[in-house]
Amino acid sequence: MTRSQLLQGEFWVRELGTRITRFSDHSELALLNGAEGEWVDVSAEMECLLREALRAYELSAGLVNAAVLPSMLAIGYTRSLTAGASTAKLDDARPAPRLPDVLSLQRGRARLELGCGVDLGGIAKGWMADRLAARLGPNALANLGGDLRANGPGPHGDGWPVGFAGVTVMLRDQGAATSSVRRRRWGDLHHLIDPRTGLPSRSGLEEVSVVAATGCDAEVVAKTALLLGPGLATAYCAAHAQAWWLS
Amino acid sequence: MRPFLLKLGATALTLGATLASSLYVTAHLKNPSAPLQPTVLASQQGGSVGGVTITPGVRRGDVQPVTSTYAS
Repeated sequence: MTRSQLLQGEFWVRELGTRITRFSDHSELALLNGAEGEWVDVSAEMECLLREALRAYELSAGLVNAAVLPSMLAIGYTRSLTAGASTAKLDDARPAPRLPDVLSLQRGRARLELGCGVDLGGIAKGWMADRLAARLGPNALANLGGDLRANGPGPHGDGWPVGFAGVTVMLRDQGAATSSVRRRRWGDLHHLIDPRTGLPSRSGLEEVSVVAATGCDAEVVAKTALLLGPGLATAYCAAHAQAWWLS
Repeated sequence: MRPFLLKLGATALTLGATLASSLYVTAHLKNPSAPLQPTVLASQQGGSVGGVTITPGVRRGDVQPVTSTYAS
């Protein structure tokens, strides 16, 4: 892998990041969220991400629901947490609508129902890690903030050694991710919304790490398991993950 | 007479198949030697290590990791 490939990969991540952030009024995502029920043109990447959001909704039986944006704003997560959370208005939090009911997609176009908004933070990192690894070549690992994808035989032919919940696993054409409520916390609140209540999750689990077929799948499975709680998480992980750690 | 025989034969065949099926199902209601899902098999064989469950699809290593998955 050349330095030029790495720089091109970094540029791709940063450029796409500016388009899918909800913290900028001029991003592609902000334009979609602010379209007030009208159809808007979307880029190929945004269309793929929105389709992935719909797939995540199905894979998680509705628990990974990008339509939680109104709740995110209600709990005060209105800007990057480096700038601090704003005042929470928990009375405004509502159970999220079914994503397929409020998000319509056509080739190159998307539409959200009036009053609805999406936040792609729940799936974007895993999805981007999958694509970045593919862009970097057949033997590459991409780690975007803990959501990662390892392609190919790794540095010594026996997989990519990755630290996973205190042990080392050798990943080859696999993804891994951790979902946690231990970070991005302020006061009694945190960023992981349970779409069934519209409020931060109180499932009894605080952190879940998962190895799955792709980075995006790992992220979705980890988040779903965390939202399901200790009673159901193991069964869900057994059906959808290749390795897991619940805490 | 012939249509009556045909109906009688079909009815007997149906009843016979039903009876044979119910006998088979009753005899195979639980099969203790049925194969388990790989994940269940792994956990029974000690696949859960220090709170981490690792199925046969993932290999453990003893080298220094190049990166890790962590909470973000």
